[in-house]
Amino acid sequence: MGKIDDTIPVIGFLPALVITIVFGIVFQLAGNWMLMLFAGAFGALFVRRIRKAFLVGFLGIALAWSLLFVYLSITAQAMAVANIFIGLLGLDGLGALVIVISVLIGALLGGFGGLLGRALYEFLDEFLPSEDGSDIAPQPQPESAEEEATLEE
Amino acid sequence: MNKRKVVNLALSLIGPIALIVILTMPIGPLTGGLGIIQPFGGIFDNGAPGPGSQTIALPGLDAEVEVIIDHLGVPHIYAESTYDAFMALGYMHAKDRLFQVTMQNYLASGRVSEIVGGYAASSDKFYRTIGLARSAQDSLDWLEANAALDPDIAEALDGIYAEVEGANAFIRSLTSANMPIEFKVLGFTPELWTPVNCLINAKMLAWGLAGSIMDFQRQWIRVTLDNDTLYNDLLPDVLPNIIPIIQEQVNLSLAQYPLGPGKVPASETPDLSSISIIAGEVQIPADKLDALIKMMNDVIRPLGDLEFVGSNNWAINGSKSSTGMPIVAGDPHLGFQAPSVWYEAHIVVPGELDVTGTTFPGIPSVLIGHNDHIAYSFTNVGADVNDIFVEQLNPANPDQYMYNGEYRDFIIHQEDIHTKEGEIIPFTVKESVHGPLLDSVQNTYSLDGETHPNLAMNWTISGATHELVAMSELMKADDVFQAIDAFYWWDTAGQNCVVGDDSGNIAMLVVGRFPIRAGYTGEYPITALNDSVGMVSWIPYAHNPREINPARGFVQSANQRTIAPSSYAYDILGPQANGYRARRIYYLLDNNDDITVDDMKRFQADVVEVRAEVIVPYVISAWDAVGDGNTTISDVVDLLRVWNFDMEPDLVAPTIWMYILDAIHEETFDEISSIDTAIPLSRTPILEEFIVTNNAYYFDDHTTGPVETRDDILVEALFTALDNLAVEWIDEPDWEYGNRHTIYIDHLASFTYIGGGPHRGQNTINVAGGWVASSGPSTRLIADLNAIDVSYMAYPGGQSGNIFSPHWDDMFAIWYSFNEITEQHGYHVMYFYSTAAAFRIADTDGSLIERTITFVP
Repeated sequence: MGKIDDTIPVIGFLPALVITIVFGIVFQLAGNWMLMLFAGAFGALFVRRIRKAFLVGFLGIALAWSLLFVYLSITAQAMAVANIFIGLLGLDGLGALVIVISVLIGALLGGFGGLLGRALYEFLDEFLPSEDGSDIAPQPQPESAEEEATLEE
Repeated sequence: MNKRKVVNLALSLIGPIALIVILTMPIGPLTGGLGIIQPFGGIFDNGAPGPGSQTIALPGLDAEVEVIIDHLGVPHIYAESTYDAFMALGYMHAKDRLFQVTMQNYLASGRVSEIVGGYAASSDKFYRTIGLARSAQDSLDWLEANAALDPDIAEALDGIYAEVEGANAFIRSLTSANMPIEFKVLGFTPELWTPVNCLINAKMLAWGLAGSIMDFQRQWIRVTLDNDTLYNDLLPDVLPNIIPIIQEQVNLSLAQYPLGPGKVPASETPDLSSISIIAGEVQIPADKLDALIKMMNDVIRPLGDLEFVGSNNWAINGSKSSTGMPIVAGDPHLGFQAPSVWYEAHIVVPGELDVTGTTFPGIPSVLIGHNDHIAYSFTNVGADVNDIFVEQLNPANPDQYMYNGEYRDFIIHQEDIHTKEGEIIPFTVKESVHGPLLDSVQNTYSLDGETHPNLAMNWTISGATHELVAMSELMKADDVFQAIDAFYWWDTAGQNCVVGDDSGNIAMLVVGRFPIRAGYTGEYPITALNDSVGMVSWIPYAHNPREINPARGFVQSANQRTIAPSSYAYDILGPQANGYRARRIYYLLDNNDDITVDDMKRFQADVVEVRAEVIVPYVISAWDAVGDGNTTISDVVDLLRVWNFDMEPDLVAPTIWMYILDAIHEETFDEISSIDTAIPLSRTPILEEFIVTNNAYYFDDHTTGPVETRDDILVEALFTALDNLAVEWIDEPDWEYGNRHTIYIDHLASFTYIGGGPHRGQNTINVAGGWVASSGPSTRLIADLNAIDVSYMAYPGGQSGNIFSPHWDDMFAIWYSFNEITEQHGYHVMYFYSTAAAFRIADTDGSLIERTITFVP
């Protein structure tokens, strides 16, 4: 097995985002918010820069959860649920805020998952041989000329 | 190794870990953490939209059970055995009311701290002290020990097992979609039920209905007043102007019914307290008494404040009805709650059972309703069946008390309380021969110089009781006389049970275990050093108060005096209700003939204020006699002149009346309020009696020089009322009653509420006490024995405990609705098809049946 970043191609930001959205929705159907970390990490497989990894996870899960909330608003009175929930905290009438916070939480889970995933892949690649058999880790290749920022910055 | 990548990995872990901590930590009331606001698997996953027809495997069934859910969410259970039927009922109870049943069980067991945290420990200590769970276990042990001896007992026990098995099948199938939102917010996973849970539910019902401890309150009032004449005049146990429930007492044969209720030994010796009082009242120190009363007031009561636990029921026989057959009406009054106390169900087992009405979630019985031959409903007797005994402790050993000439050991119950936070709060309850020591709950015992608890609570319903055997039999009874046999088992909270049958009989059966007290009255705490003093026996069931087919053609009860003391050999200690609802019911039934089902509906909606009907004419007359011509008062009196005494929301007179009644109490009973404003200002029947008989002594304000007459006080009350009204309603100058007389039904965990609109009634047949009615008719039943399949019911709530279900409050809308022309509230027909096929055939337009659940073994 070669290095992860040698095996998984860079497919561009938008396709990676779509993959993250799909995984965000599928994983969320299992009803466990922690899986959003994995969805974000999965999206981060397809980008190389750590900032993009965060963005893919963040936006991907934000969009995934937004789509789910649209569905739940239509079918399961999501706004009414949100209004009751916020009422328990003494903030009557701010139900939309619950959904916004929820989406933000999902986004952060996805973003941090992307961040963690990217860091993990690069860490693991230290120990994996490259495709040509060398065990020297390749230098990260910028996805475009202007990309240079990494977490170390 | 590239150290920066290690550092990157470590840094990237910070965010996820921080988020996991934040999303799982309790935030205020949200002990389930913020993670529950995810789209699926959290609060948004609320089971909506509901499923269509389903087939569900229910291991333990003998045969397939078909459950038709009607358009109001009421299950109609068609089974081949009672065991299968109650399994299906248990499943439905859990499916629709799991949070409610869990909370009521944990409350009654003293385990709420496990759900909400240690702040509920005081409630838990109280319920562990009174020992509902211990008594429930005693009941279960008795049922299990005797099931082999009596098929009736075995059948009741089977019902309990089936209910639990069915409920547990649902609990095992819980997913994020059908887990109640309350559990998600609280971060709590419900446990499986056990048979004792059913009996805990029954004990909690009994505590809610008959758990008052009047001894403390009576003693506090009497000591604070420090004037026995005043006390006896203003706060008597037997009130004037009461129409007793039982007027034509029917004793059964002692040879046929030799035992007491619950089939326990009983004595036919009448009240012994009047023969010789040998145990004097023990005065509890004032600060301890205050603490005990506060403790009693603070504890959560399962069915609402006992002051508001009341009910109406009545039945007419063929001589009064338009059909020539009995019509039965019942509307039990309990504290409103959402979900409702009640859950409707119809259970059919061919050849064995065909019963419909309201069940109490977690109990395998239809408590109010009808079967194919009889209809029945309950009201609370309100008798004092709970006494306080001050134990004399051994100075050398506080774990012992004096009884029958020797020091006995208290039974020690170790009742450690586990909290949600993981703490264990050690708690010990001691129990004497009289009962558990109530002052174990708080350290009130230190206030009387004792260093250990010593106040034993002697409650007739402690220990094993047999009410579920009674209900098991009642549901199958074919006539009034079989109902009487069934109630031989009923030894829990005293109830007035109205029964009508399709043979034309009606009856009012006062059921339950009433104590025969020896050597004391039961009114105040005493010390009983031997077994010659105390609740020495029970009124034998044969002599329980009851009427069967009275000559007047109707029976009625509304929590008033059970039976006139002069016509009954035994003493039933009160206090009981003021009796105004009963007077109105009696008037309506006595003065009407050819009464129809529609009339009965109209009677249940009646909002005539009998108190006003009596007192307001005196107020008008007083104003006319001694009024000073004040135009504001004159205008108000003119409104009262034309008032028909209906407590309707769009009227002004009811508002004025509420203020006038308070003012008359205040102006008349200055003797009480001048001593302590916390003492209740007598009761309205006493006030009424004083007004009608013109009691000169009590109308005189003894703090002033001149002698005030009744008319002076009534006019003064008018001024006081108007002054108060003007100040308190300054923002609502139209004074319409419905502006402030509203109905509000709070969710059990205060997530939301039902209602909020203007509300009819007050201290009327359609009871709605106070300004914000938090109690009232918890269901309404009209059962026509001429056409039992067209009977009616409605309760303020809905079948589903899911806030987001259409069945959360759809029944409330029916119950609350009022037709001005027919003068009736809404009802639904209690569909009573004897087979699922017949039900389907009747549903020609698809409006009756919502869906079907088929349970398969």
